[in-house]
Amino acid sequence: MAVPRILDSLRGAATEAGGALLGRLQHVRLPGLGQSSTTEDPETAARRWRAVTVLCSPEQVGTGADLPAPLAALGDRVELRITPAPGDRGTELAARYRDRPSDDDLRALRSALRESKQLIEVGEVLRVDPAPHGVRRPTPQGAALEGMTRRAGGEGVL
Amino acid sequence: MRAATWTGVNEVSVETVPDPQILNDHDVILRVRRTTTCGSDLHLLGGYIPFMRVGDVLGHEFMGEVVEVGRGVRERKVGDRVVVNSFIACGHCWYCRQELYSLCDNGNPNPGITESLWGQSPGGCFGYSHAMGGWAGSHAEYVRVPYADVGAFVVPEEVSDERALFASDAVSTGWMGADLAGTKPGDVVAVWGAGGVGQMAARAAMLLGAERVYVIDRLPERLAQVREHVGAETIDYSRTDVLAELREVTGGRGPDVCIEAVGMEAHSSGIQGAYDQVKQQLRLQTDRPSAVREAILACRKGGSVFVLGVFALMVDKFPLGALMNKGLTVRGAQVHGQRYMPRILEHMARGELTTEHLATHVMPLEEAPRGYRMFKDKTDGCVRSVFVP
Repeated sequence: MAVPRILDSLRGAATEAGGALLGRLQHVRLPGLGQSSTTEDPETAARRWRAVTVLCSPEQVGTGADLPAPLAALGDRVELRITPAPGDRGTELAARYRDRPSDDDLRALRSALRESKQLIEVGEVLRVDPAPHGVRRPTPQGAALEGMTRRAGGEGVL
Repeated sequence: MRAATWTGVNEVSVETVPDPQILNDHDVILRVRRTTTCGSDLHLLGGYIPFMRVGDVLGHEFMGEVVEVGRGVRERKVGDRVVVNSFIACGHCWYCRQELYSLCDNGNPNPGITESLWGQSPGGCFGYSHAMGGWAGSHAEYVRVPYADVGAFVVPEEVSDERALFASDAVSTGWMGADLAGTKPGDVVAVWGAGGVGQMAARAAMLLGAERVYVIDRLPERLAQVREHVGAETIDYSRTDVLAELREVTGGRGPDVCIEAVGMEAHSSGIQGAYDQVKQQLRLQTDRPSAVREAILACRKGGSVFVLGVFALMVDKFPLGALMNKGLTVRGAQVHGQRYMPRILEHMARGELTTEHLATHVMPLEEAPRGYRMFKDKTDGCVRSVFVP
């Protein structure tokens, strides 16, 4: 294999590793740091409701085909819970899969909730790319970070 | 266009990059007139915030002229001379409605990174790594400004570019610290750090009615600026025991309000300084918090400590016992600048807030690498390097 192909392959692996690392980051528990309670088994964690609070009335979230497009696209695979938030904080919009979701499914749900919130509150989904930048000299750290940012809209503790 | 980019640890280059485009209806494109280095950039430069990619455009404190507007923009128009807050906030979410703009739910397109680090994601920031959204910075000929009706403020005619520039971050951050720390008429306020933010926190405390204000640093040229341009008193921590001095000048009480404007690369002497340096270099702690520790120990019982300096993750040897037993209120935030900028620009227009002295080195954008070197090494009395694209 030619050297450039090996380097390309290594960069691809670093990008994948960066994305995967971000996916695992919120579950990392180092002794003496951060969360003191137990972590749940993957089955229980995957079944949790994932929720955003949207500054609107419950009616403005909509139902069925009137839901914001990113949530409507998930169809019947997800169930929704729409309840007023306490203290005039808006509406709690929660969703979870009816069946056992994959990691990709969960990323899609997180993105859909975040994008739906933006559509209701602001009217559009914020875009950052393409952003001006200089020459991206290929480095393992850069490739890993690219993997992280590709997945960052669908990862996190949501 | 030309832009100053991060090209490696402590390495800045100026290169040709694509022009920014309108991507959302609420965007404007700004022709940058002035853009400045900020102490928090040094954490990025030094590799302490490991979410920078080679080629990222730096800069988050800037002003300029609107040259293009998105179709959803209502309040700004082509030709407006505006100063833009460094944090990107939508203006519509619950946090923005509480005027906690840097906590905006919608301004950071990469929430997965910061949620994983901190539990929740704050808003986005121009030119401040992919953890804060991956937004291109302002050290460029042009910059895209999302949510422009919320974050871009028209500069009054009588305010110069050099003065307005610092409303973007240094003044609004300093003002926020003094305000949210609860500064009241008659208070004694101590500020750690005599950089742009520290100086402006001191000035804001005075305008909010503080009776006496002390600014702590070790750099003689910065302390001289505090005395000459801000009108506060100074303490050189390399020559004076700060805790003893503050006790003495406050009748043994300690300051009512303590504002930390130093951040994660704080200098300190003796064993503490060596300890923090070693732990940070070994990645056993991410930040050096010596100024925060001292502020907590100095503060009077029941007083208020505000953390303005940027911190990344974890610190060690934090005086939690002092915090709890003295009944302190400790608060921190990135800048909620949109809340303060209209008032700041009014003060600037009346001549009550002057900032031109902070721009000790004004130079063309092409000289950004030199400007950052001087700013980092604090050579030639550099307080801020300001770039003119």
